[in-house]
Amino acid sequence: MTFAVYLPALLSVLLVAVSKAAARHTSPAAVTRGLTLAAVGAATAYAACLSFLALTLLDDLPPLAAFDHLPGLPKPVPGPVALVAAALLGWGAWRLFRDVRTRRDTHRELRSAGSPGAAGLVVADWEAPHAVAVPGNPGHILITTGLLRTLDGRERQVVLAHEHAHLRHRHHRLTALAAAAAAVNPLLVPLRDAVAHHAERWADEEAARQVGDRGLVARCVAKAALATRPQLALGGASVIGRVSALRRPAPHGRWTRLAGPAAIVVAIAAVTATAAFEFVAVATAWLHLA
Amino acid sequence: MAVTPSAGRRPHGALEAEVLATLAAAGEPMSAADVQRALPHDLAYNTVQTILIRLLEKDAVQRRPLGRGHVYWPRHAEAAEAARRMRATLAGRPDRAVVLQQFAEGLDDADAEVLRALLKETP
Repeated sequence: MTFAVYLPALLSVLLVAVSKAAARHTSPAAVTRGLTLAAVGAATAYAACLSFLALTLLDDLPPLAAFDHLPGLPKPVPGPVALVAAALLGWGAWRLFRDVRTRRDTHRELRSAGSPGAAGLVVADWEAPHAVAVPGNPGHILITTGLLRTLDGRERQVVLAHEHAHLRHRHHRLTALAAAAAAVNPLLVPLRDAVAHHAERWADEEAARQVGDRGLVARCVAKAALATRPQLALGGASVIGRVSALRRPAPHGRWTRLAGPAAIVVAIAAVTATAAFEFVAVATAWLHLA
Repeated sequence: MAVTPSAGRRPHGALEAEVLATLAAAGEPMSAADVQRALPHDLAYNTVQTILIRLLEKDAVQRRPLGRGHVYWPRHAEAAEAARRMRATLAGRPDRAVVLQQFAEGLDDADAEVLRALLKETP
């Protein structure tokens, strides 16, 4: 097996770098969808290549181990490399399991917080300012009195429109896919964060279209963030990015702007196919002996 | 007041949600006229009244007679229970907060300064 099997990991790093630049002038809807797709593709390729490497460990098991010193046999990767690959694969599986479990438990518990009824809204009498889109069928909004009281009538309309946009476009699926990809391949963590950020941007833009005032949405996002206590701090950069973006004209760039990331995904697919062929060649040679 | 640009494409139940949010934000019982004034739309009184009745029928709000009409407020027991469960799910669990689509996360002091500066420039 040659270098092709190691390339998806390297190309993941390149994908992250290129995506950051491509996202700047593109509509958040296209970025969210495009980067999710790219992340899932890159993670799949990464897992496949790690599996090829890890599977070469099988030649050390009986009965294949008996043929280890025969001449003319294609040499698989060195044992330690295969071991590292197996460990990375196991680590990724553990992270994936944990991410899926956290997501499922959190959503289930929030769904049980109250029945949304006709309004599709559950109000929690809590001073901490939170508004959450709780996915489900059809999904609902969970909002605290703490946030509602900080905002005026138009700002409340913004928050509700923003959370409705999350539910309508099923953003939880995209963010969950990107998070799963980043769990399997930790090099994609920046891509996961970018998808989460652009899903928020997408919902901001939809809310702005609905209330017809980008400045209002910007002030509303800032107000809610400033009202949140610092110990819950998670995404300062994300909020500042959203407010700055809302002060600029709405981005209209379409899919074509994502050509860079798309090209890298195609390259990842190509090297993974190459690695797969090489692996099959090695495996067939060994299986002929056995 | 102008009709909001979105009047035609508001999702189903959005007005109910806004009325319920208005009642919850007020923290005290409101008449249909109070709600009408608090909403940013140019809604007819009868529309507000209809939404309030619908919320009442779905058990989302309570009301009592006052003067010639009624005053409405959200059900407190449900809101307290929702808060208890929400707190149990999220408080002190940053790993759970990050999996959610939250409207706004908190900021540290430096980021808060940047944001305040940004707001001053925003028209």
